[in-house]
Amino acid sequence: MAILILKRIGTMALMMLVVSLIVFLLLEIDKESVAVKVLGVFTTEEQRRLWLEANGYFEPLYLRYFSWLAGFVTGDLGESTVFRVPVSEILWPRLANTAILGVLAMLVLIPLSLLLGVFAGMREGSLQDRAISVVSIITTSVPEFASGIFLVAVFVVGLHLLPGTSTMIEGFDLTQLVLPVAVLVIYDFGYVTRMTRASMAEVMMTPYIRTAVLKGLPFRRVIVRHALRNALIAPFTVIMLQINWLLSGVIVVELLFAYKGFGTLLLEAALNGDIFVIEACTMVAVFVAVATQTIADLGYTLLNPRIRFT
Amino acid sequence: MSDTPWWKHTHPAVPELAEQLRDGKIKRRDFLRTATLLGVSATAAYTLAGRLTGETAIPRAVAQGSPKKGGNLRVSMFVKPVDDPAISEWSETGNLARQVVEPLAQVGTDFVTRPYLMESWQASEDLKTWTLKLRQGVKWSNGDDFGAEDVAFNFERWLDPATGSSNQSRFAGMTHVVTKKDAEGKDVESRVANEGAVEIVDAHTVRLHLANAELAVPESLGDYPALIVHRHFSDEGGDLSKSRVGTGPFELTDYAVGERAVMRRREGQHWTGDVYLDQITYIDTGGDKSAEIAAFASGQIDINDRTGVEQIPAMQQIPGLIVHDTPTAQTGVARFKVTEAPFDNKKLRQAFQAAIDHARILDLAYQNNGIPGEDHHVSPAHPDYAELPPLKQDIELSKKLLAEAGYPDGIEFDFVCVNSPQWEPNTCQAIVEMVRAAGFRLNLKVTPGETYWPRWDDWPYSFTSWTHRALGTQVPNLAYRSGGVWNESSYSNPEYDALLDQAGGTIDVNERIKIMAKLEKILQDDAVITQPFWRSVFVTTTEKVKGFAVQPSLEHHYNKVWLDT
Amino acid sequence: MMTEQVVGETAPPSVVRQTVRSIGYLKESPVAVIGTAIVVFWSLVAILAPLISPFEPTATILPFARPLTPAPDGGRFLLGTDQLGRDILSRIIWGSRTVLIYAPLATFSAYLVGVMMGLAAGYLRGSTDSVLSFVSNVILSFPVLILYILIITTIGPSGLNVVIAVTFASAPGIMRIVRGLVLDLRNREYVAAAQTRGESAWYIMLCEILPNARGPLVVDICLRLGYVTITIGTLGFLGLGLPPPRPDWGGMVSDIRALAPAFPHMAVFPCLAISSLVLGLNLLADGLREISLRD
Repeated sequence: MAILILKRIGTMALMMLVVSLIVFLLLEIDKESVAVKVLGVFTTEEQRRLWLEANGYFEPLYLRYFSWLAGFVTGDLGESTVFRVPVSEILWPRLANTAILGVLAMLVLIPLSLLLGVFAGMREGSLQDRAISVVSIITTSVPEFASGIFLVAVFVVGLHLLPGTSTMIEGFDLTQLVLPVAVLVIYDFGYVTRMTRASMAEVMMTPYIRTAVLKGLPFRRVIVRHALRNALIAPFTVIMLQINWLLSGVIVVELLFAYKGFGTLLLEAALNGDIFVIEACTMVAVFVAVATQTIADLGYTLLNPRIRFT
Repeated sequence: MSDTPWWKHTHPAVPELAEQLRDGKIKRRDFLRTATLLGVSATAAYTLAGRLTGETAIPRAVAQGSPKKGGNLRVSMFVKPVDDPAISEWSETGNLARQVVEPLAQVGTDFVTRPYLMESWQASEDLKTWTLKLRQGVKWSNGDDFGAEDVAFNFERWLDPATGSSNQSRFAGMTHVVTKKDAEGKDVESRVANEGAVEIVDAHTVRLHLANAELAVPESLGDYPALIVHRHFSDEGGDLSKSRVGTGPFELTDYAVGERAVMRRREGQHWTGDVYLDQITYIDTGGDKSAEIAAFASGQIDINDRTGVEQIPAMQQIPGLIVHDTPTAQTGVARFKVTEAPFDNKKLRQAFQAAIDHARILDLAYQNNGIPGEDHHVSPAHPDYAELPPLKQDIELSKKLLAEAGYPDGIEFDFVCVNSPQWEPNTCQAIVEMVRAAGFRLNLKVTPGETYWPRWDDWPYSFTSWTHRALGTQVPNLAYRSGGVWNESSYSNPEYDALLDQAGGTIDVNERIKIMAKLEKILQDDAVITQPFWRSVFVTTTEKVKGFAVQPSLEHHYNKVWLDT
Repeated sequence: MMTEQVVGETAPPSVVRQTVRSIGYLKESPVAVIGTAIVVFWSLVAILAPLISPFEPTATILPFARPLTPAPDGGRFLLGTDQLGRDILSRIIWGSRTVLIYAPLATFSAYLVGVMMGLAAGYLRGSTDSVLSFVSNVILSFPVLILYILIITTIGPSGLNVVIAVTFASAPGIMRIVRGLVLDLRNREYVAAAQTRGESAWYIMLCEILPNARGPLVVDICLRLGYVTITIGTLGFLGLGLPPPRPDWGGMVSDIRALAPAFPHMAVFPCLAISSLVLGLNLLADGLREISLRD
């Protein structure tokens, strides 16, 4: 087991290294454009040249990459050209905000979709199964920006029930997170529900559950004692992978509700060419994604005695 | 009406202006603007104008009931970095800093420039020497007296090339070019301050010595990079978010870039008298304009920094909101690169001009919130504007001219514009649709700012937005003079240049307007630009915000704003 | 694939027979029938756009008209107009072309790359497999919208670049599926037969293995088309999609989103258009999966 974990962590490190290379090459191979992004478009070539020289951009590419990587590993993420402060000063608080949003979304998403999935899957083809499937397929078809706009029009402008933005100026306010969480959950619960349903339906077909039902054990007990444990292994992996998806999903939601999280930071940085913020955000996002993937794999191995990684 | 004593202390041109006003030769507005630029106090100018013409002059932001004290004004605005006001590039930065530190002059909601941390200014007859009388009894928040030393310190900073302030070009007459060798022995040019450019006359008088005549000194002193910081600002780190000493009524108490900035009113009386608000909270609602509307709808903000014209219909649907507006000399122009084929063909450009219905574009792209343009880039808001016969759309003429230009079957070319703010692509789309009838098939290329701005003066045919400037000659000097720094059309016409010089040296408004008429006509006939409209700017508030009026450059003057609860 | 065959009329007889048989299969699943109907509906709208569009999609006529407002020169703005006075129905109709060109184009391009990668990895195994799998793992480790934003802000927003971005981001996922299928199929007898015949590796991959893997792939194509449609819409919404004035559904919503609270008709109809097309594709995928499981 320890070897397996070490192996996975090694793969993870290798992947981060390759990702860092991709990010670096994508954003920094053209040093002229770096200078333009940092200094602004109205600067003279002379100014840019001086800046490039002062910041070591005339070194060979591989040296630049290593010093960039070294800075990254030691927590020196550079300075934001838009905010004029070190990237780490804004990145971590923003990431914490997104974590709050993400955790809340998960707290709603997981019970809801597991419950619906189990309900649908335990009696395949029944009315409840059909209804849940149809609802989940419909909600999955509505893009986040569309449901966001609908919800604002109804609950903010129409009914005056909820706050329209989630800037948290007066301190933390849970009501401001209702709509963002709703948008995330509406789009995503369908997928997890359907995965759970499929897994549940499969388990229900297995001989031992059939036997248990035929033996006359109470249906409820069969579900809770026997079926659930096996049916929830697959959704566990799916749920862990939703964290990767969530890092995408928060971009639209945070923009819509002016929530000061990681998603808006990345989007605005990308639109403003705030190059070091883009780099830091991307690296952090990929790190989170890869880490959850690793945990998902390990967890799957632990939960499922039939699988052993070689 | 005989000579009043204060005339003797004002610019020699002022009595003449007053006579012209009395005889109805110039408009009241023109008088006010030119007289105040020359150093007549705004109150005096208003009073005089009122006495001469019989009109009562009431500045905007009129009293609305009796002000209540207290409250927190929540403002939706991008919270940009507040470090050094001298190098700020955004009006948003200026608006944050403005609550803490203040300018020497202020452009009011009525376009009139008034002394602010000054009691008055005076220009010499040749407009090269400006004497600034500073306000007495103003205290810095650390207890120091405000005075000439502070102002001299600020000028030194602005003119120092190491600071990198845009004020250096605003006060270019106080600098000269020096050439230095860099590390590789290449010549590097930079501007440094002239010896003795800033003279401290006494503790509350500063004199500026310029190498050439300059009328816009007060306007430059009222622009957002010209906020006056304490004389020890640099020693204390040169960062306003850390060293929070100011003369303004508020102090910055909480600040997170990109999120929020909180200003608390300082203890004690401010020199402008009562300041009603206890607190101003700036909230960054991000780049999504619908978020701001949602914030209004749920009562999370009281006022915004600016309202895009595309937001207005939505704001109007929300009960309890008021959209304030003011006309400006802000505009956008679709311009041809006249040195490049096929746009070097004057007939073709004139054909294009004939196909434009300016008022219709204003209506479609800007919901009629502005004044139709006349393709010469001088605004009716300018004191020296000359009225020309209106331009008329004539599709048949356009087709004929296009055929004469050598394109009987029409012509196809690219039209480049930036994707944001949204009125720009909207205007361009309206233009594209409009000229199609005359045989112009335009391919609109809407590009992000990152692609657009590095080449903004280089595209063969593109749309550029221009900001408000005080006088009618200021933009033409930058944009249409041969070799002008921002001459994006590469237009070059010696006759036009000569008229610009002539107008610049003419203070008499009526004479100046005569020259401007010729100037405007030349550019219009050469059809270098399509200038669809002069746009108004907008700010939305809730009903409980009182004592507010839009300032044309969207400056936040909140000293007299109060909340009716 | 199904829909193209349904629409195509000049196909050779064998394809017609196949199509008839496919439709016959579809009948077994009402979900698939509904899905097909929606997709065929939008395909017809896209094809017939010039005939059924009541106005020019870019003509600026009467700003802010609510649905059912009569147009000044006759006709009616059934779904109203936008802030520039352009008929929303016409823009949705023409916008279906944009979506139904770019989404399939991008998906097809992603499939071309992904299938090649998957066949090579699954059939050749060894170091090819290791390298390709690692590359795809790296790309898949990026949260997908972040990857799109990175690519589009680097190479600029345009139709072609959206196709490139989708290809880059989706090909690894397709590769994984194909690789899995190939690993399963490569030990079948007909593959061994081809190998003994001395057929080239590419012949075996493309002519023996790929056709037998098409079932699950068809389902995946439908799902992916739906996802790409949402992606193109979202990129448009973020201001990174296809540049105007070409109508595209996401861009339509993005343009007027400040107005959406007050003029819901400007947002609702384009959103409904996107959602319904995606729903159609998802239902189709679901139905096809159901049918394939039943066999």
